Amino acid sequence: MNRIYSLLLIGLPVLIFIFFGKVLLTEESELASYYEPKPIPQFQLLDLQDQQISPSAFNNISLLNVWASWCITCLVEHPFLTQLSKNDIDLIGLNYKDSKVSAQQWLQKRGNPYQFSIYDPRGDLAFELGVTGAPETFLIANQQIIGHVQGELNQEKWESIFLPLIRRMQNKN
Amino acid sequence: MIVEIAHFLSVTSAIVLSLILIFNLFFYFADSHTNQIILSNKLFNQACLLIFISFGLYVYLAAIDDFSISYIANHSNSQLPIFYKITSIWSAHEGSMFLWIVFLTIWSVLFVNYLALEHPLKRGTMLMLTLIILGFLLFLLITSNPFERILPFAALEGADINPVLQDPALAIHPPMLYLGYVGFVISFSFITAYLFHGDFNYSWEKDIKSWSLIAWIFLTIGITLGSWWAYYELGWGGYWFWDPVENVALMPWLAATAFMHSLFASSKSSVLKTWTLFLGIMIFTLSLFGAFIVRSGIIDSVHSFANDPQRGIYLLGFSGFITLISLAILAYRLPQLQSSKLIVAGSKESFLSMNNILMLTAIFSIFLGVTYPLILESLNGNKVSIGPPYYNTIFSPLILITSIFMMGSIDALWQRGMQLRKLCIAVAPTLLLSILGVYAIWHFTKIFSLIAYVGIFSGLLIIMSYALKLFSSLYTKAYFNKGSLLAHIGLGLLFFSVSMNSILSYQKNISLFVGEEQFVNASLSKFQFLDLKKTKASNHDVVAAKILVLHDNQSIYLNPEKRKYFARGQITSETAIHTSFLRDTYLTIGDQLDNGSWTFSLQINYFVKWIWFSSTLMVAGIAMTIFKKKIL
Repeated sequence: MNRIYSLLLIGLPVLIFIFFGKVLLTEESELASYYEPKPIPQFQLLDLQDQQISPSAFNNISLLNVWASWCITCLVEHPFLTQLSKNDIDLIGLNYKDSKVSAQQWLQKRGNPYQFSIYDPRGDLAFELGVTGAPETFLIANQQIIGHVQGELNQEKWESIFLPLIRRMQNKN
Repeated sequence: MIVEIAHFLSVTSAIVLSLILIFNLFFYFADSHTNQIILSNKLFNQACLLIFISFGLYVYLAAIDDFSISYIANHSNSQLPIFYKITSIWSAHEGSMFLWIVFLTIWSVLFVNYLALEHPLKRGTMLMLTLIILGFLLFLLITSNPFERILPFAALEGADINPVLQDPALAIHPPMLYLGYVGFVISFSFITAYLFHGDFNYSWEKDIKSWSLIAWIFLTIGITLGSWWAYYELGWGGYWFWDPVENVALMPWLAATAFMHSLFASSKSSVLKTWTLFLGIMIFTLSLFGAFIVRSGIIDSVHSFANDPQRGIYLLGFSGFITLISLAILAYRLPQLQSSKLIVAGSKESFLSMNNILMLTAIFSIFLGVTYPLILESLNGNKVSIGPPYYNTIFSPLILITSIFMMGSIDALWQRGMQLRKLCIAVAPTLLLSILGVYAIWHFTKIFSLIAYVGIFSGLLIIMSYALKLFSSLYTKAYFNKGSLLAHIGLGLLFFSVSMNSILSYQKNISLFVGEEQFVNASLSKFQFLDLKKTKASNHDVVAAKILVLHDNQSIYLNPEKRKYFARGQITSETAIHTSFLRDTYLTIGDQLDNGSWTFSLQINYFVKWIWFSSTLMVAGIAMTIFKKKIL
């Protein structure tokens, strides 16, 4: 029994240190992940202003960004999203497992980059989309989800994952 | 010139510390002689003194605005009051690391000289402390030098500190927190020395009890001040955000709390020894983990300092090195530490060991919450955020179990189990009162939230059981530990007020023109925008609104402000808070809309003040325990 404890006492910390060392040393590997296009799931939800939203709201090429006021990484990607919202791409928010009041306050405090934010307090739509946590961003074109970034969306991921997909869509049209 | 002297003194101190290590390693296995310890101790004191003088000179340089020093030029400004010129030292990485080391040195020099010359663990403790100070001093000098000059041309004016940091609570929050974090280096080094020494008949607990309690007090005050500052300065109306940096402060706090309890058990009846030793090592390890998380930039957080992988690697390597020394010795000594005594179910020891297990579970849950995004990221390159929903779900059952055990433990005896019948009689009134209390709250508020009611019930269980204990002992004149009573009531009150806050508080967004008024709800019958003034202060523009709120027929005047700072162009919001017994009326002014009206965010926050009060109670309780013992 003692041997197991000793092994745990030393082995576990060593594993943890190796893990952090690995995280520190590896550069963020960019996986330009291929995403099987699939249609937007059917839903009927309200946005933060109590307007009815259905899948038909996604007309053009649009980005659906999953965010919440409790999410720290959302705070980190917020400046980049604000910058993106000035381009001619529809940026739509999906407010995930949040309270309406704190979500509205968050937008008021930091600025609202979204055309509107779908209010999904129980994570129903997020479940259909296969969201694992906030933030996540989906690229939608022609009523199809064609791309996906889990975690912070930044310049690098924008250029390596979404931009090629958008160019391909525009060439097709 | 002065900065070169300060730099030189720090380097000299590092050299002296290395000499102590080399000298002692050389002689450790030769005949031990008291003179060696005397010499080492003197050298150690000198090295510490050099660090203090160096820091003193640095404070002086900050006070006289020496902008030839890159760090001071980047974080201070000649227009600042002298108080903020000095506190700007710990507003960023290099200076705060320097302060961290100074505190490390203060604790170490006090403790080493407190141990008598004949104390069997004096040498080991001193060497461990020397190693730790040296490691961090080298970290400061190599990777984050605060003494660097801007040459050949010095800056004419400093860049100013972030305005939200120009605040008295924030000026003393880091020092308090660091004093707490670093204070546990004492138990860490002492325990390592004890394990290395190998004489397990020696009762080591008494030597570090008060030291650990004092460090705990600093840590608690530090965390509370940070939370208080966030509440009134950031204008979000929240007091705790489960931010990674808050979490890494909470982990050592939980470990320290478990350690205090475990120390109590192992000094009373020599059980849970391995637990206590392990926890004593864990506190400082978790503090180091916190320093690593904050200073390596590995996690995106609103608190974190600038990214620098070199710092991260050094910190990780050095923390790993000293932690593993300690844990390896513990692992090696495990067979000898086994206590022959068994713990009787229902005895005080059994409750305290439950406490250890619960605290460790809480620490592990937080650790998982902090590292899960990193684990996921390293597996598939993704970043996610873990937020309050995770922590609330994990903590509410933990809190409930903790309070149930706490309720049972009050009348438990050392080394003897309790009869089930007696236990039932003891807890019945508490249970009854708490259930009544929860029902009363539901009856008056008509709001239901499972997680919040679990918290309220747990809080009431703790408060009621200790209150009943107090009343019954007034009758029977039986002895009870007043410090413990106070601290535990504080904890119960904390659970209670946090939960009440979560169900009762609400927020309204209002937009109005000057001179207009609005009906908000039945209790807030009037919200009147009286006046708006634009003024100029020395380093910022001010927009100040004057608002009259009629809250339950009480007139409240509120003056929220918005400031724009010239130096950095930063806009900050000064919240107006009106406090009454149960609630705060909390108002921030937002932006002006295109039609000329102004937006306001009005929050009614219940029981927030009670949260600060409950941590004050905990601190007071522990302080009573220290002074009663008069060990120091």
